[in-house]
Amino acid sequence: MSELSATVMNLPRRDAQDKLRGRTKYTNDRIRPDMLHAVLLRSTVPAGRIRKLDVSAALRCPGVRAVATGADAPGLYGIGIADHPLLAIDTIRYHGEPIAVIAAETEKQARAALAAIVLEVEPLAPVFTMAEALQPAARLVHEGWRGYEVITEGGARAGNIAWEAKSSRGDVDAAFARPDIRIVESSFTVGRQSHVPFEPRVAIGSWEDGRAHIQTSTQVPWTVRNVTGRVMQLPPGRVRVTVPPVGGGFGLKFDASIEPITALLARMTGRTVVLENTRQEEMATCLCRENAEIRIRSAVTPEGYIAGREAVVLMDCGAYGGEQVFLTTMTAHTLGGNYKVGAMRLVSRAVYTNTPPNGAFRACNGVYNTFALERHTDEICDALGFDPMEFRKQNVLGDGDLGATGQVFEADVLGPMLDRMEALRASTGTSEAKADGRLYGIATTVGTWFVFVGPSAATVNLNADGSATLVTSGVEIGSGTMVQSLPQIVAGQLGLAPDQVIVREADTDAAGLDVGVGGGRTTVSIGAASIAACAEVREKLLRTAGEMLQTRPEDLVLRDGRVEITGRPGSGMSIPAVVAHAQATTGPITGSGAFTARNTPAMSGCAMGHFIDALDIPVFVVHEAEVAVDPDTGHVEVLAYRVVQDVGRALNPRAILGQIQGGVVQGLGYALHEEVTLTVDGRIAQDDFETYRLPLAQDVIPVAADLYEGAPSMGPLGTKGAGEVPILAVGAAIGCAVARAIGKPVQQLPLTPPRVLRLLHEREPPPEFPHIAPGWAANTLG
Amino acid sequence: MTVTFQLNGEDCRFHGDPMTPLVDILRQERFLTGTKAVCREGFCGACTVHVDDEAVPSCLKPIALVQGCAVTTIEGLSSGNHPLHPLQAAFEAADAVQCGMCFPGMVMSLSAFVRDNPHASRPEIKAAMVGNICRCTGYERIVDTVADCLDQARKAGQLVGGVHV
Repeated sequence: MSELSATVMNLPRRDAQDKLRGRTKYTNDRIRPDMLHAVLLRSTVPAGRIRKLDVSAALRCPGVRAVATGADAPGLYGIGIADHPLLAIDTIRYHGEPIAVIAAETEKQARAALAAIVLEVEPLAPVFTMAEALQPAARLVHEGWRGYEVITEGGARAGNIAWEAKSSRGDVDAAFARPDIRIVESSFTVGRQSHVPFEPRVAIGSWEDGRAHIQTSTQVPWTVRNVTGRVMQLPPGRVRVTVPPVGGGFGLKFDASIEPITALLARMTGRTVVLENTRQEEMATCLCRENAEIRIRSAVTPEGYIAGREAVVLMDCGAYGGEQVFLTTMTAHTLGGNYKVGAMRLVSRAVYTNTPPNGAFRACNGVYNTFALERHTDEICDALGFDPMEFRKQNVLGDGDLGATGQVFEADVLGPMLDRMEALRASTGTSEAKADGRLYGIATTVGTWFVFVGPSAATVNLNADGSATLVTSGVEIGSGTMVQSLPQIVAGQLGLAPDQVIVREADTDAAGLDVGVGGGRTTVSIGAASIAACAEVREKLLRTAGEMLQTRPEDLVLRDGRVEITGRPGSGMSIPAVVAHAQATTGPITGSGAFTARNTPAMSGCAMGHFIDALDIPVFVVHEAEVAVDPDTGHVEVLAYRVVQDVGRALNPRAILGQIQGGVVQGLGYALHEEVTLTVDGRIAQDDFETYRLPLAQDVIPVAADLYEGAPSMGPLGTKGAGEVPILAVGAAIGCAVARAIGKPVQQLPLTPPRVLRLLHEREPPPEFPHIAPGWAANTLG
Repeated sequence: MTVTFQLNGEDCRFHGDPMTPLVDILRQERFLTGTKAVCREGFCGACTVHVDDEAVPSCLKPIALVQGCAVTTIEGLSSGNHPLHPLQAAFEAADAVQCGMCFPGMVMSLSAFVRDNPHASRPEIKAAMVGNICRCTGYERIVDTVADCLDQARKAGQLVGGVHV
């Protein structure tokens, strides 16, 4: 297929040279001296009622041009439920919550004026943990939860349960009642993970021609547009969002947060206003990967058939529902993935607490659900005496198997990937000798993720110089999609070189709807929309050339910047000549395209409260880790790490390998030392690089990776997203390897040296969940 | 207080608080935004510049302490349309960059390191990166690229970036 051979290549990044020279202007490099600086007054208590908020003295401070409070932006926003004010209105729900904002000529003046705001807060008893929040008499974090607008219908809600999603397939009670089965039950708990993109959340707002213009470091320009409209009670079309290069996102920038504040202040002052989180603010209010608690039970026959499975997953959404409401859906596809199961029922609940809100983070709840599922699988193997690798080979999802919501999987993918892992291990060898007297463990784990496809639009303009301009709302956050895979795809479709494809940076005024960079969807969705746009361009181009060459369009091909007669290289004419003719006769050549999911069906009645019922594009991984545990210090060294990743079709193998190395290392941080804890007054304790331990060069090793191609995908040219999943099974592989090394169950991440020592000496209390009822149904809202 | 120093080869004068961090002068007064202020506590290395040819985090450098010094920022390492420093060219060719925010500091730290340590081993390169955090790449491709650069320079009998500014 020539179009494929013209598309697949190790194209280097076009943005690398400017980034290396320090010339790239990220949003926070665009601050100019004539801009106003905004700073936030943030709550210093985790819960309270605002009794008095008087900003009049602050307005009189030197340099201050505007002060805004919740009264200036009364609309509420959210993903499933509109529960979130831009600035606290009456009630404070977390330590660090924005209450008021000051815009002044300089940041120093704005900070000085903060002291002039009169704020009186009546403290309320905070609800810090999900255990507290689920007590029958718990104080409600949102007293008015019943009155909130429900943006997406279908989820059950009550009190501190912001959202509940369930999946149920088959007769689970009958499976657990079988006389021939053994029941294995496991409990797991995980903490939060902070994204730490190098560029913090930052926005620059202006007010132009009666409309807001926000330049911001975001993954979701259309969400920022819509949320700004909501909170300012404007039609969203009166908001324009443009996105400069983004200095890292990892999911943190998948929701709106501070951006609308700049539009509000710009409207009040008529000036351009910048708001940038300090590193301390950024980490203290990070929309972290949520802490979670998981109980899972399986009924397994002596032959190793998983007859039944049930699980309860509690996800801490913090003070506002946010992304966690949506993420409850994912449990069915992550904890409910990987294996053939006879009957299954799962419930996941997003629970409100008086803690900073959580959000999306690369492979979201899949990272801990995969840890839980794979450790549980090893506990099944331990209890019933199965070999963990053989058990996995016997039970991984294959062609025709059913997922948790009754979706039918196509093709055998995980099984052959396990074989490929064994081949990879044979080629690299193992590293047991490097353990050098320490406790050695090796574990192979599997993971299931999916591309959330969602709507995308693309426009392609063919220019008179033979170049093409691609206009989309896609954002380059570092993954390379906008500078590698999309120009490769468009060039392949139009017979151009990738450097002839100009990629417009995201602008909601220029491009159609896109749901944003997340879940590994950009190459798939914007790629497919781009191919649809190219089809229209090709059709116009070939029709015009056909007239000029007196040849039928179906006998023409696009190759090397020319329209050629099939089978006659060098014949025909150059694309610029055809474009020039078209411009003079029928008009400029443009094409537009759109794409969204076909909605892969679930089995009727299997999914409740789900935002999506089935996986449009499943993505699988196999991860293998070798570790050495120092029994004296509890330190875990990763000796070797291997990945087999289902990529569908690798458009740029070298770029994908770069994503795998980076994603695995982010997962190693999560598994081993990135720990977020809350102080007694509800603050995130780790708010700088001294207290939050990120992976450094000396902590990491090269990941050996094998790209598995050919699994079915509706993505263009058979692609799947490749940047999201490398982190998916790292907690699982490390957790299982450490458990085998130390011979003790691992039920919690991260595996910091003190925790590993406590596990070794059996001083680590196992997780206990008195707030999870023994009977599964008692953990649901019915 | 008045401080005079050389900035990317030109005379530069600053009037103001002598405790002002160098990074703020670079970014806010000179608009040299290639120097990134990420943690402002000396941990991440994204604001690394050369002061008298030594790589230092500019967030921890009060402006008074650069009196009489020569400061080189990433913009001064290879200015205008001049060829990239060999390390920059190698990082570009290897597709090492992702979000890119750590790279100006990474280049400033490692360009001083390879100049002073032409025989550095892979573990020594990693040790030299202890003050430069990258959240995207997982480091190994950066380390490989530096090792390759040193290897090639040794074979050619040259220093990496021998034309160092």
